[in-house]
Amino acid sequence: MQHLDPDRLVLLALSEETVDASESDHLERCAGCRLDLASLREVAELGGESQEVRDLPPPPEHVWRAIAAEITPVADLTARRRRRARWVRPVLAAAAALVVAAGGTVAYLVSRPPAASVTARATLTPLATVPASAGGTVRVLSDGEMRVDVRNLPLTTGFHEVWLIDPDDLTKMVAIGSLTDRPDVVLPVPPGTDLNRYRLVDISDEPHDGDAAHSGRSLLRGTLTS
Amino acid sequence: MSSDDELAERLRDGDEKALRTAYDRHGGAVLYLAQRLLGNRADAEDVTQMTFVAAWTGRDTYDPRRGTMLGWLLGIARRKAVDRLRSAARDDRVTETVRAQPAPPGGPETPERVLDRLVVADELGRLPEDQRRTLELAFYDDLTHPQIAAVTGLPLGTVKSHIRRGMATLRRRWEVDGAALGSRSAGPSRAL
Ligand SMILES: [Zn+2]
Repeated sequence: MQHLDPDRLVLLALSEETVDASESDHLERCAGCRLDLASLREVAELGGESQEVRDLPPPPEHVWRAIAAEITPVADLTARRRRRARWVRPVLAAAAALVVAAGGTVAYLVSRPPAASVTARATLTPLATVPASAGGTVRVLSDGEMRVDVRNLPLTTGFHEVWLIDPDDLTKMVAIGSLTDRPDVVLPVPPGTDLNRYRLVDISDEPHDGDAAHSGRSLLRGTLTS
Repeated sequence: MSSDDELAERLRDGDEKALRTAYDRHGGAVLYLAQRLLGNRADAEDVTQMTFVAAWTGRDTYDPRRGTMLGWLLGIARRKAVDRLRSAARDDRVTETVRAQPAPPGGPETPERVLDRLVVADELGRLPEDQRRTLELAFYDDLTHPQIAAVTGLPLGTVKSHIRRGMATLRRRWEVDGAALGSRSAGPSRAL
């Protein structure tokens, strides 16, 4: 059986020439040539469409800064700063730790009716040292509360703390509160917190050492967007 | 320009500069895909960010033998965009916004189609200069082989072989990345 010549297939695919009677006959009987022609036609069509996506401009630099903020281990930051975070609430953190240790319910876990709308959200993804199955979501509600859902966090002898960090200056952060052993926790965002600035959500593993600064062991990160 | 293999190796070693290189090279394509699928710039930038963060987190899972880095990144971006559309559909507030999006001109476009276009464009940019030039004249300017020969001063036989080889390379790339991404088996009419 005489198959269609490769050069001929290209001409047909580019619609530069049309299929004649004997070729049409062959194409009807030969699945191989049919597939070749169909694929080349598709490639020619995609080739034509490709003009609009050649040399696409890169995304704006702020997108990269947000990526860089999420993948930079906090260990690096804490090594750089070696000083306490400015926004710490040692009393609350210690209290939360006690409650977690006792296995009780947390006082500030308040279930609200779903009246409040979501004003910002973030998807939490694991940092490189954390199992890939770990993750979570954060929703900031119009009533100033933050709903944090996490899954598959590594076990800890300490506790998990939620932070809001300024991705443009990773030494600036706000401690929001601790997670309990429940998958879904609601925490109050301190009034006046600028979520456009403190938009990087960070879940860290904190030891019970009385040091309220970030331990440098970040587990999950995500950026709030409205 | 470092190859995908080399870039993948540096990524696996935890070299953040390799992620930046991948971003410089492919960030525009990822953003384009996200914008086509989501219809708005802010969400598209979010998905671009999530894509590169996920690429960093999952850098061990990229295998250059199974497809190009661009194909891998676009696969991640597509999943993130589809996830976002689904979660948006669950949220009434956002659903209104999504519904308000005008349909792109020329009817709805499948994610696979956008992906294929980006993959073919990328491969076209990698072809040897002569092959690339003749194909651009055929694709973009709709010139025939003899017209291309006249414009470029190349013999007709050379034009033929450039176009045939170039098309074969584009087709291979389209089939390899398409297979890795599952777009070939998805069929052309499958919508989101
Ligand atoms: Zn045949």
